Amino acid sequence: MGCAKDHDRFVMTDGQLPHVSAGAVFDKPYPQFRRMDEYSRLGLAAIAFSLKDAGLHDFEEKRNIGIIASTLYGCLNTDIEFLRTVMPSRGMHARPALFSYTLPNTFLGEAAIRFRLTGATFTISEQTPMGPACLQMALECITSGEADKMLCGLCNSPVPSPFEVISKVPPGALFFMIEKSPWKGSSYGRVGLGKNGRLEFKGIPVSGLDRLVKRCLSGR
Amino acid sequence: MSTVELFSDPGNGNLGSGKHNPIRITDAAMITALGDNLQETWRQILRGVTAVRPVSRFPVDNYSSRLAACIEDLKPSGGRSMTHALVDRLFGDMGPVPPDAFLITATTKAGIDNLELLCRGYPAHAQDILLSSIPDMISEKLGMRTGGINISASCASSTVALARGAGMIAQRKTEAVLVCCVDLVTEFIFSGFSALKALSPIPCQPFDRDRQGLSVGEGAAALLLMSEERAKREDRPPLGTIQGWGMANDASHITAPAKSGRGLVQAISQALRMAQKQPEEITAINAHGTGTIYNDLMELTAFRQIFGERKIPIYSVKGAVGHCLGAAGGIEAALGLKTLSAQLIPPTAGLVTPMEEAIGRVSSESVTISGDTLLTTNSGFGGINAALVLVS
Repeated sequence: MGCAKDHDRFVMTDGQLPHVSAGAVFDKPYPQFRRMDEYSRLGLAAIAFSLKDAGLHDFEEKRNIGIIASTLYGCLNTDIEFLRTVMPSRGMHARPALFSYTLPNTFLGEAAIRFRLTGATFTISEQTPMGPACLQMALECITSGEADKMLCGLCNSPVPSPFEVISKVPPGALFFMIEKSPWKGSSYGRVGLGKNGRLEFKGIPVSGLDRLVKRCLSGR
Repeated sequence: MSTVELFSDPGNGNLGSGKHNPIRITDAAMITALGDNLQETWRQILRGVTAVRPVSRFPVDNYSSRLAACIEDLKPSGGRSMTHALVDRLFGDMGPVPPDAFLITATTKAGIDNLELLCRGYPAHAQDILLSSIPDMISEKLGMRTGGINISASCASSTVALARGAGMIAQRKTEAVLVCCVDLVTEFIFSGFSALKALSPIPCQPFDRDRQGLSVGEGAAALLLMSEERAKREDRPPLGTIQGWGMANDASHITAPAKSGRGLVQAISQALRMAQKQPEEITAINAHGTGTIYNDLMELTAFRQIFGERKIPIYSVKGAVGHCLGAAGGIEAALGLKTLSAQLIPPTAGLVTPMEEAIGRVSSESVTISGDTLLTTNSGFGGINAALVLVS
């Protein structure tokens, strides 16, 4: 858990995620954080670390930065938890605060509020959970002039039985900050689509987001 | 977590200043609680009727409303989510889809009806719960070559999907995109909005002084987008074009819209800039118009900032078909094409006494227009706003 600049290696595997507390992620008090569902806390923490890694965590004004997150299971845990408040008494005790988090993109709204980001925010879901589609869409948003910078990445919280049998995806979240060249600060390298439409990092094709992180770390 | 730098892309960049060819919409289909196809839904909307009726799909005694716009004969089959039956019926009315088209679907909750069944101990296909089940299902049904992706952006999901599909074509990533949106009325959704006290006890009344909340609806829509060259090559006449799009987040609250309308203003401004249109060139607006106190006021506040005191015609179809959540934007875009071709603003069903800010803009009757450009907007939880500029 943390910023890429503080780590030499990266791996996403099955296993238990570390506890994500506000104190471990945010410099300033953030009481709302512990009221969120696990999926939102996970994604928000990864976005916070990504902004910090890019030196964009200190800010005052709203910024035209969008976020695209790829997720396979979305907020399924929260959906199940919410249904457990609905079913026993046919809705009498349905929890409104929980319902607010039963959309896969709600945590992106939380991130927009916390970090004053006003660009497009949405999630995508595809057959390949580590696939590059979110990065490709983020590139399109920047090259089209729709956003100045884009955060893109993935967020998957652990999924309870029997749902994990649908498809395996390691739990965790990671986000990249992307900006159009020339980037004035330090960067890990140049990413884009090659002539054949494939994702390239430093001119070499990369197949997935986890591989891109490894390439970023190995190239420092 | 890392920072990377984007190198120049070989596509058609800088659309923000409006330099792309219009994206053609060459086919459209829909199913709503008002009709099994686009033509029938449009015909019923023009009559000013509503599909919002008492719910029989699940018990509603404990909820703040007993009404929704359900497709009456929609039933699950063989443990599959009702999304399967809905999509089967949707494509009955649509022409051939090129197998190489990229597929973008839009849904907020996919087959959430199957999660209800599983949690109650009934057999159901768990795969249908996943958001990615929608592109998987449609890709398989249509024999498409790519698996596609699903986009979720709350109630702006399908507007965002149309924008991204248009973006892919504008940047020459593909020549054709099928955008398909679907969402259901389920107890999950109904109980949630009831708990939030967002449901209207009577059929919703968008832009009415006495509006009390939204009415949930369900439906699906499909729109085939093509580059100008591909559409000409395949001899597919356009139903209309997408000339601009914009998306923005309020960054103020996860369930309530920003009172200032800031995010919606940013999204509309971006869409107009991309379309190279001035506000006075917009003929009419298909608004999100949910019938909630805060949404409708926010929208009129935003429209006033863009269009000033001009009495621009505004309408909402949610009083007729209900709020179809992630499918709302796609359904409304397809109906927007009808609006432009018929040169007729449909009545806003449920409207009795317009809000002061809506007087002279929103009508309970059909209104004749003269113009070729429609702005269509949606907003949703998580603070997202999206806008499209459609031209006939």
